[in-house]
Amino acid sequence: MNASGEVVLRIIGPPFSGSVQQTGAIPKSAVLLEIASDGSVFAYSGKVEYGQGIRNSFTRMIASTLEIEVADVHVILADTARVPYDRGTTGSASTRTVGAQLFRAANAAKNELAERKDSDGSGADTDVVEIEISGDEPSPEEFTRLTPHMGAVRIDGADRVTGKAVFAYDFALDGTAYGSLIRPPSIGAKLVRIDSARAAQVPGFIQLVQANGIIGVVGETKEAADRAVSFVRTRWDETGDDVSDWSLPSALKDLGSDPVSLRDDGDVSAGLSSGARLISGVYYAPYVANAQMEPSAATAEWGEDGSLTVWCANRGPFTERAYLAEHLGIDAEKIRVIIEEVGGSFGTKSQSVSFEAAVLARESGRAVKISYNRHEEFSTSTVRPAALMEIDAAVDQSGKLVAWDYTAFHAGDNAFRGRRGADSPYDAPATRIRVADSPSPLPHGSYRSLGGAVNHFGREVHIETMARELGIDPLKFRLDNLSHPRYRRVLEEVALMSDWESRESSDGVGYGLAVGFDAGSYVAQVARVVVANGTIVVERVDVSFDCGQVFNPDGAINQIEGSVVMGMGTALWEEVEFDGGRVLNTGFGGYRVPRITDVPEIQVKLIEDPSNTPTGVGEPGIVPIAAAIANAVADATGKPVDRLPLQPQISAFSS
Amino acid sequence: MEISINNLTHNFEVNPERLLLDVLRQEAGLTGAKYGCGEGNCGACTVLVDGEATRSCITPVGSMVGRNVTTVEGLTAGGELSSVQQAFVDESAFQCGYCTPGFVISTTALLLKNSSPSTGDIKSALNGHICRCGAYVRIVKAVQKAAGNPDHGTSL
Repeated sequence: MNASGEVVLRIIGPPFSGSVQQTGAIPKSAVLLEIASDGSVFAYSGKVEYGQGIRNSFTRMIASTLEIEVADVHVILADTARVPYDRGTTGSASTRTVGAQLFRAANAAKNELAERKDSDGSGADTDVVEIEISGDEPSPEEFTRLTPHMGAVRIDGADRVTGKAVFAYDFALDGTAYGSLIRPPSIGAKLVRIDSARAAQVPGFIQLVQANGIIGVVGETKEAADRAVSFVRTRWDETGDDVSDWSLPSALKDLGSDPVSLRDDGDVSAGLSSGARLISGVYYAPYVANAQMEPSAATAEWGEDGSLTVWCANRGPFTERAYLAEHLGIDAEKIRVIIEEVGGSFGTKSQSVSFEAAVLARESGRAVKISYNRHEEFSTSTVRPAALMEIDAAVDQSGKLVAWDYTAFHAGDNAFRGRRGADSPYDAPATRIRVADSPSPLPHGSYRSLGGAVNHFGREVHIETMARELGIDPLKFRLDNLSHPRYRRVLEEVALMSDWESRESSDGVGYGLAVGFDAGSYVAQVARVVVANGTIVVERVDVSFDCGQVFNPDGAINQIEGSVVMGMGTALWEEVEFDGGRVLNTGFGGYRVPRITDVPEIQVKLIEDPSNTPTGVGEPGIVPIAAAIANAVADATGKPVDRLPLQPQISAFSS
Repeated sequence: MEISINNLTHNFEVNPERLLLDVLRQEAGLTGAKYGCGEGNCGACTVLVDGEATRSCITPVGSMVGRNVTTVEGLTAGGELSSVQQAFVDESAFQCGYCTPGFVISTTALLLKNSSPSTGDIKSALNGHICRCGAYVRIVKAVQKAAGNPDHGTSL
């Protein structure tokens, strides 16, 4: 039992509603909600709060449904000892799957409490009553009933503005020792020699650890561990990977696997050769960093019985636990992972820091905390895979697409990342979509929308380039070749918002359009940019967004604005530079991210169609933005764009 | 060394070269100021020193003797949020909230000097801060809201 008082009512059922594509040990039934004798309510989910506001949503809808104060609702998230299994907080799915299920649980509890009142007037059953609910796909009506219960102002806001919120970087146990790691100077470097004699003389030095491929110092304080590390001398044998950020585009194709066909409709070869006009392009998007504000941190403590507890920040406590079990060679049941507040993720926060803390703790016999510095974060964290995209497309005399041939080479062996967003929504009767993977010189991982934003960059820049070459308005060219009603609606809406028809491009002022689909939602964006004195300024971005029914419009708009800002960074400045297996730009000086003076006016219109069930909000906003900005820059300068980031290309050719 | 933090005098026996951020977090137990970059580039560590926004991650603690340091925890007088804090909550001017203490502190410093800042003043005062969640549009609104409130800064 988790609730502090005596549990009087317990709602059990599948932790997700609907046909969620979940793998792993999903329980058919788990405890979702408990009501204690003192009236307090506990709800349980394996999802992680990392800025998207799910704790707020879940708490408010339960409190509102049961007509109690939010202070009496305790939403327990992401603690493997207390919550049902969850594959991880990905795919912009928390509210529509877990949220909807907890709402169903709250309603079941409400009905039961009402029935009890009616039956004996006291509700003072001594035995706990268990009610099982289904995990059926919620009906649109259920979602509609959920919406008014959400509430905008974050219940966890006060803790964030006062410093009370405890992030993994802040978490500390009494008596914790601290770890500091000695890292190879480049990826794959092998240790030849190590001399730690002087390090051992540093006050507070506890131990040098060399185990499980990790080299680190444990000290009584973080300062002691860092200082001791500065006195360790190492010699390394570096393999010196030949690929650099400059040679990666060609390496992606040259070293890539045979492309996997995701779709092959019609006769693409015939279509390409029969069209009135064949237009080809090659596009490149480099590695980018998540660069979340909180660097990785974890604390690990072993029990005398060989159990392990880890406090960390990650998107999935159960995936973290599985990783630790595999790499430490112990039973997952012996590991408890507790996710603290997460200071941003977007897809990174790897398991490595938890593993490192667990190894140092095991070897030293102490609880150990590790917190990365910014340079460690940039040089060791996973990055969004770079990709090279080749597109051949043909149109007939009337400007109708007849063939679309798309081949993308994504860095890394995770095909799923590169495939997301690769398909084309356009009507070309002959369409071939192929994705290859290619060796990744840097550790690669997830990012907002995975490869979705990358594939959209290639496709939507090519579409706009074609329109320009054909002398057709980019909006008209898209609408002429896009029959899907929800794509059309967001395009038509964003055209109205941006006054597209009466826009006035000039030398140095440009407008760019892009449309996209991700996590079930449709989005179109128009960017207005000014290019002057070698600098690109994004002045305005209009966004029309169709995620079906909307629970919390302000929370949705917050996510969409954030996606625009993040994607603007990838459009203009962001690129992880590397050579010889080492990252070269490891601070915010060398890795430029958007700041408050960079931010354009952002207008967001939510379509809010009640006939469509809710779909994702956290990620789709990022998928068109780099293309929209790139298209606007091409419009302003008259020069086509084929790679990101844009600002260095403009700067390099201005006086 | 004696340093006033949030109107309490603390006595630290530490190397004066240690960074203020480390001493606040590790010795004083005040984790509201965050580590973000260690180079003064991101603003997450910002505290007030005699009312001026200061990057604690590049400030030696020895230079704080005789000065008044205020962290985000110190803005909450008698349990009430300051007007700046309240405005950030009301405008949902954050997502994950890791950078928020720094923004709140620099906004407080701005409003102490300039009670009716223009949008340009606001952006200029906060440009040294990074919010990777991209809540900037809301942050500007929150500062404007706090500036419109005549009570701002009274908790200092």
